[in-house]
Amino acid sequence: MSAAVGTERPQVVSHVQQALSYTVFDCKWVPRSARLLCLGSAARGTGLIQLYELHGARLELLREIEKPKPIKCGTFGATSLQQRYLATGDFDGNLNIWNLEAPEIPVYSVKGHKEIINSIDGVGGLGIGEGAPEIVTGSRDGTVKVWDPRQKDTPVANMEPVQGESKRDCWTVAFGNAYNQEERVVCAGYDNGDIKLFDLKTMSLRWETNIKNGVCSVEFDRKDINMNKLVATSLEGKFHVFDMRTQHPTKGFASVSEKAQKSTIWQVRHLPQNRDIFMTSGGSGSLHLWKYEYPAQRSKKDSEGSEMGVAGSVNLLQNVTLSTQPICSLDWSPDKKGLCVCGAFDQTVRVLIVTKLSKV
Amino acid sequence: MPVWLREHSWRQTLTAVYLSLPLRGGRATPANIFCSEQYLKVSIPPFLFEAILYAPIDDTNSTAKIGNGNIFFTLYKKEPAMWDSLTLENADKEKLQYLRENAVLKAHEKAKKETEAKKITKQEHKKYALEATMKLEEAERKRIEDLKEKERQKVAKELELWKKQQKDGDKYKSIQKKGELHQEIEPLKEKKSEKMNKTQIPNEGTSKTRLKSTKGCHGSCIFSPNLKEEHLPAPRAAATIKVNFTPRVFPTALRESRVAEEEEWLHKQAEARRIINSDLSELKDLKEEEKNPDWLKDKGNKMFAMGDYLGAVNAYNLAVRLNNKLPLLYLNRAACHLKLRNLHKAIEDSSKALELLTPPVPDNEKARVKAHVRRGTAFCQLELYTEGLQDYEAALKIDPRNKNIEKDAEKVRHLIQGTMQSS
Repeated sequence: MSAAVGTERPQVVSHVQQALSYTVFDCKWVPRSARLLCLGSAARGTGLIQLYELHGARLELLREIEKPKPIKCGTFGATSLQQRYLATGDFDGNLNIWNLEAPEIPVYSVKGHKEIINSIDGVGGLGIGEGAPEIVTGSRDGTVKVWDPRQKDTPVANMEPVQGESKRDCWTVAFGNAYNQEERVVCAGYDNGDIKLFDLKTMSLRWETNIKNGVCSVEFDRKDINMNKLVATSLEGKFHVFDMRTQHPTKGFASVSEKAQKSTIWQVRHLPQNRDIFMTSGGSGSLHLWKYEYPAQRSKKDSEGSEMGVAGSVNLLQNVTLSTQPICSLDWSPDKKGLCVCGAFDQTVRVLIVTKLSKV
Repeated sequence: MPVWLREHSWRQTLTAVYLSLPLRGGRATPANIFCSEQYLKVSIPPFLFEAILYAPIDDTNSTAKIGNGNIFFTLYKKEPAMWDSLTLENADKEKLQYLRENAVLKAHEKAKKETEAKKITKQEHKKYALEATMKLEEAERKRIEDLKEKERQKVAKELELWKKQQKDGDKYKSIQKKGELHQEIEPLKEKKSEKMNKTQIPNEGTSKTRLKSTKGCHGSCIFSPNLKEEHLPAPRAAATIKVNFTPRVFPTALRESRVAEEEEWLHKQAEARRIINSDLSELKDLKEEEKNPDWLKDKGNKMFAMGDYLGAVNAYNLAVRLNNKLPLLYLNRAACHLKLRNLHKAIEDSSKALELLTPPVPDNEKARVKAHVRRGTAFCQLELYTEGLQDYEAALKIDPRNKNIEKDAEKVRHLIQGTMQSS
């Protein structure tokens, strides 16, 4: 486990381990509760949503919902705190929003994509940020679509490949910069290493770059502020932290990159209570906890006088190996600092507690 | 010849004999004294003293004190009895010899036993030391485990506390909400569409969903969004953004470590397309399209599909003469030869195809599997089963999920075992 106990480093304590009988692709905390959701695919090719409650040292299954298609990803990002509807993307390209109290019929459903929806994100809900609630989905068919639950069947924004050009799989999407009603930005990562930043206010491509390895996960440190930092993780164990405050006209955003391990970094998640701490989960079943340190000056002038960002540095706070299989999903609890849930391909979901985060 | 020392004096009690032996010069060390149960010898060259004792003594407890030019022996008798004399008088040479040898043997045995005993004690000491270190390490580990456990319990308690707070908070909210909503329910119920009605029914407790929680607020919460809608901005105006991707030939994801191999493969493919062997006079007769190896390949494929294997072979031959670096030509020609039972030619062509399909990248996986399978089949039909099996296994390694290859590999294995048994 950890190096020396008794030092002031945060420790990752494994609180509960639950073996599941299906492959879990995503796990999410239900906001304002001690309940969590596991989304996945059963062996017979159907989708499963399981709702668990944390009771002492074990997870109690409250409800199990089966759906015809396996479910890849889900988010609570676009619902209000009272409703807590779950938006899911499945293997068939369908986007559904479910009321978990009455899950037979979805509250909103659309066949958004021709192929599996790899990643989903929501913004505007849960009392965080301002503006309309929106959901973005990224799919293997190369398109990224933004949906408004009040508008049926057509997306409010569609980022698709130019006609005739071959498509690349979109592996991950994230919302950011939603600090007022008009501004919003979507970041998408693709399997050929492209990261593209789309501005929804001007409906244009704001920035793109290529990080030389397929991008597995992108996340802004906070969705509801002026965009501050973006972490992008990739194959081959690398991740990049971009400083998003200063955009240079040609060089784009400044970044620092780290190679944590040899295997793919599947997910990155920022701690909701401290936006400079984030956890990455790896293909070797390990979790790394990182802290970003800002440089003395976040921007400087280059030779032509345009502003250029300066990237800081990243420190490893803790790392722990929990499993032999990749940990494919990770979620921090927005209500309790340090509580997180992770799901791995060894068909277990683990609830972890990271201690001493206040002292970091 | 040693000089015998005869000037000794002795006295005895019931249990012990005290012997005093003066040394004429010469220093004595314990090495010079040799004593066994019934034999005593002191040898300080050139002096020698030996005595066959009257009765056995306990040689382990007996002592010898060396000092003042004198050795003083204290010999404890095995049986308390008064001795007539110190030594056995009527000892003849043979008996002396025998006794001496016996004594030496006994001494040897004693020495051996002593070394063994020492070894055993040493081992025990080592074991003890090891156990002690293990105990210490175990204690250390336990201490760390305890610390971790304490931490875990502390954290679990905090979590429970937080959970309780959540529950209480929720209950309080739900009580509030119930009060508010009872007033709202009547007008809203009329506005409800079919869909909402449907979703209400499960809440009234059918057995379909295993609803366990007693949190009533969720059931009534579907009413609340209608109240909030007025505050949100309208949905965005729909628009499309066109995206250009960084070009990539392979359908697989980009990995830095594989870039070099992929580049090599692409380079080879590109070169292969550019090379044309052009010193053939018959080329003048050919139509424009017949000079294109790809067109000829397609023609060959069509003829193969129709069953005209000879025609297909001719097409591939011409294509190869034009461009002998395209692996697919050899691959397909191998298939034709298999059908025509030109097994050696099939093997040659599959081998050539494999040669051209290096470096191995996921892009040419399918082609390599086919090449191995065709070569394997040709070997088996030539009854060279071991070579055939090698190829099937190579194909399985590239594509482990192909059931047909597995079945064929099993068959070949059985054949090999069958021939081995019969031969």
